Amino acid sequence: MREAYKINHQLQLITAIKANNSIALKEFYTSNYPKIEALILKNSGSQEHAKDIYQDAFISMWNNVKNESFTPQNDSALQGYLYQIAKNKWMDVLRSKRFKTTQSLTDERTLYLKQDENIEDDNDGYTKKLNTTMSAFKDLGQPCKDLLKTFYFEKKSLREIAFELNIEETSVRNKKYRCMEKLRTIVLASKS
Amino acid sequence: MKDNSNISQELLETIERYYNDTMSKQERSDFELKLDENPEFKTQVEDIKTLIFGIENQSLKEQLDVFHEDILEPHFESSSASGFFTLRKLAAAVVILLAVTSFWWFSTPQNEKLYSEYFTPDPGLPTVMSSNSNFEFYDAMVNYKQGDYKDAIKKWESIHHKGDTLNYFLGVAYLADKNEKKAIRFLKKATQNSEFALSSEAYYYLGLAQLKKGNVEDAKTSLKRSNTDNSKALLSQLNN
Repeated sequence: MREAYKINHQLQLITAIKANNSIALKEFYTSNYPKIEALILKNSGSQEHAKDIYQDAFISMWNNVKNESFTPQNDSALQGYLYQIAKNKWMDVLRSKRFKTTQSLTDERTLYLKQDENIEDDNDGYTKKLNTTMSAFKDLGQPCKDLLKTFYFEKKSLREIAFELNIEETSVRNKKYRCMEKLRTIVLASKS
Repeated sequence: MKDNSNISQELLETIERYYNDTMSKQERSDFELKLDENPEFKTQVEDIKTLIFGIENQSLKEQLDVFHEDILEPHFESSSASGFFTLRKLAAAVVILLAVTSFWWFSTPQNEKLYSEYFTPDPGLPTVMSSNSNFEFYDAMVNYKQGDYKDAIKKWESIHHKGDTLNYFLGVAYLADKNEKKAIRFLKKATQNSEFALSSEAYYYLGLAQLKKGNVEDAKTSLKRSNTDNSKALLSQLNN
């Protein structure tokens, strides 16, 4: 019974994360950070490292939840998963920066790191496309950026956005389309 | 992405519905059929999905920095909140302490106050020594210095031949152990010998013990025979 509740809770968390529920995301983000920060600080990293690695791991976790390559097995599954990704990412950094030259990789270690690579997006072409889109969106004009973010990330309805901006719902709809076209054009242009 | 393949507003919205899982069963199966049959359509859908996903990813990334500020903030908040809290606690503690001490001040006899103001046990003798003839004495001295007066007393009491020094420390130990009666007995013995190096100290502690017992006149007599600064200070307070 209790187990069922736990899994249920975990599923709720995953549903909320998939929906980009900002309260759930924030709660999950802030509550899991200290453990990972401690891990990285203990292993010759700085707070800056901890933040970067953690955010990287968080986005990986989020992506894998979204595309359903992660399903919870127990109540702390997602927490543990996030921790594992962050840990592996940090191991990667340690390996590339310093340890690679001074310390040969044992088979065990390589295997460990390979697992990590499996967790992450294995499709290189896709990752590249995604990154291009991300940087295009990053530099998109503010009005478009705000609109697309509100619609696609915050998942607000056209009506809500229209109400907030005090404009007609149809003009929000048209604006959104034009902004998508604009973004798409930039993405196409930046790909050579 | 193919730039020649224009994506209509309608297609965009269809893909959104597919992505958000808000299609009807019929629409979804039609849509999926088309995906299977038409590779170009599939590419278009994939491209739009990537765009939406990119927007979400970048938005999340930017959002995380906002979240992160709140990780640091609760630290500040909680520390300032707890700081505020402890300040309040501290203030409350001070008030309580004042109340207790003033109660104690007005309710305890003057002698007790003076006693506790003046009494600190003799620091004891250095215990680094090699002569084992006095082993028991110095062994107990270790206990004494650690504030373990009961053990010190037990060990010292078991020594048969009690010299001035032993009587003196036994007296102080008993006094520290709140047994004034025995303290007075041993300190009196220690003051018998005017040649004793710690005679002044012995009189001082004897005076303190007598003061603690409430024998102010005896205490004054003892303190007069001591020439330590503390004795003089205490004596002048008793005379006031």
